[in-house]
Amino acid sequence: MNDIEKLKNHFEDFKNSKLINSENVKSRIEAFERFCKKGIPNLKQEHWKYSPLSKDLIQFEDLKFSSNQNDDFDDCYLEKFDHYKVLVKNGIFIGGDIKKEGLEISKYKKDHFYEIKSNQILDFNNAFFTPGFEIRVDSNFNVQKPIVIYNFFSKDFNGNNINNKNYIFLDTNAKVEIFEKNIFEDESYLFFTKNLDIELESNSRLIKYYLNSTNKNKTIYNFIRSKLKKNSQFEKFNFSHNVNSCRDEIISDLNGENSYVSLNNIQHLSKKCFHEIKWEVNHNEPNTKSSQFVKSALHDESVAAFQGKIFVDSKAQKTDGYQLSRALLLSDNSKFLSKPELEIYADDVKCSHGSSSGSIDDDSIFYLRSRGINEQDAKKMMIEGFLAEVINKIKNNEIRNIFYNKLNEINKV
Amino acid sequence: MIDIKNLKVNVDEKQIIKGLNLKINKGEVHAIMGPNGSGKSTLSYALSGKDGYEADGEIIYNGENILNYNTEERAQKGIFLAFQYPTEIPGVFTNNFLRTSLNAIKRAKGEKEINAVEFLNLIKEKSLKLKIDKEMLSRPLNVGFSGGEKKRNEILQMSLLEPNFIVMDETDSGLDIDALKIVSNGVNAMRSNERSFLIITHYQRLLNYIKPDFVHVFSDGKIVKSGDWKLALELENDGYAKFVN
Repeated sequence: MNDIEKLKNHFEDFKNSKLINSENVKSRIEAFERFCKKGIPNLKQEHWKYSPLSKDLIQFEDLKFSSNQNDDFDDCYLEKFDHYKVLVKNGIFIGGDIKKEGLEISKYKKDHFYEIKSNQILDFNNAFFTPGFEIRVDSNFNVQKPIVIYNFFSKDFNGNNINNKNYIFLDTNAKVEIFEKNIFEDESYLFFTKNLDIELESNSRLIKYYLNSTNKNKTIYNFIRSKLKKNSQFEKFNFSHNVNSCRDEIISDLNGENSYVSLNNIQHLSKKCFHEIKWEVNHNEPNTKSSQFVKSALHDESVAAFQGKIFVDSKAQKTDGYQLSRALLLSDNSKFLSKPELEIYADDVKCSHGSSSGSIDDDSIFYLRSRGINEQDAKKMMIEGFLAEVINKIKNNEIRNIFYNKLNEINKV
Repeated sequence: MIDIKNLKVNVDEKQIIKGLNLKINKGEVHAIMGPNGSGKSTLSYALSGKDGYEADGEIIYNGENILNYNTEERAQKGIFLAFQYPTEIPGVFTNNFLRTSLNAIKRAKGEKEINAVEFLNLIKEKSLKLKIDKEMLSRPLNVGFSGGEKKRNEILQMSLLEPNFIVMDETDSGLDIDALKIVSNGVNAMRSNERSFLIITHYQRLLNYIKPDFVHVFSDGKIVKSGDWKLALELENDGYAKFVN
């Protein structure tokens, strides 16, 4: 991806493909030019310093996009509980349109894009995106069953690059829970960028779960921008398991009094997996509250990074910001990189952060073994217990069970 | 039941137990009393095979030397250590831990594992006797438990796993009189001709409730005096000084 001439040809091909409509070509061209100017991320840029993308993108010398051959989707991937099904196949929304009272689910149709200076991958996404989903919930509407988004990557897909955009809008006092999971059918190389914009009007509440489990040869960049108005709430639970290479980035703007964001992530990695979390919570108004909670269990030569930032504007008095990261290093070769950041301009605030990493507590293992549990099982119990602290915070039974089952499943290996 | 011969234990290359000989027959209760730093807890860890406790000599248990068995193998063979400070393990739920432990031991013995319903009935019956409520069992293991709750949880595990040889390390520490009675009753209910106990304690107080057959004074890694339960009274009155160099 570092050969700009090649990329320019690639962009020309993309523009002429049937993947885009003509309406937003201008903004795509601008975005692409910005990307070319900034170049691909590298380790010298502060924004990408700890990122797997800085190392990985070089392997995508020739990018290739493609379109869907069909709308096929195997029912075996469907969740068993009652839900609204949304299917995004190889980055393109293909099913789950709903237009009923209070809830509208459709193909992404926004055509206004923004720039973030240090983020050239967002520019890249802006240039090359295909439409994902758009979810709108009307005011005072409480969506009774969860929406499940199936991000399906089929084995008949010919390309190695997918970029999509998605949008969630909750009007005043609307409530919804959304569970999103990635399904990869094969092990071919793929660079996938996803941008999700979330706008929460006053008194609304969004709970979002994301299961990003086991892939090979995939390089993923998830970028979420959420804007919260007065009294709104955004809770997020991520489970990142053996993702080859992934950066999860979230910017959350608390733009209304008493708004609240809670970001939670489990990272369970082995082999040479590399997962990075980059979160930024901006307390822009008084009496806003945030929580960041990360638990990482790292085997083999895996690497995890956590960069969590709490920004407090000078007028955001009575801010309550919390951040905690704990990592279990389960091999001498695993690594955890942590960079907490607090930037506070108000004087009446409560902000705390903590970060620790270490191996499994020997005394705990001894205690379990002294009750007849073998060393390997004792370690598994400890890892499971350690990670389950995040899952225990999930109130939705179905989703909690999905996360628990995933935990049991991976711990059996 | 257990015959300890010339046991020497090194921790970080320092010898803590310096040639211990002790024979405990089936059904007997022995108490080891000694001042701080005499090596009592080291003995309990060495009997459980804790890593880092390098033992030399012999520990003959039911006719075989168990020195080369690891911690879980010893537990599976029926050796149980009631901890002085039970470890708090966040995220591991007490109920789940108890069932996993019970089934690990059943599996090792070649017995059928217990299912969830059978376990719940069993645990209900056992915990009632120790005045342990359901809520405590649904909490993470020992996390936020009071001193008394932790020790009752140890006794609950003991009664659930039904071991043959039980080492109790300072079980009375941190207990008020009521908790001490509950714990002692739990222990006494388990006394049988087939089961032996080694009780490690500073004070004679516990021995009023659990009456030992033999009392040993432990000092500087060795037994320096043995007697019957009256020795404990003597110690309580006179202190350890006359037995310690």
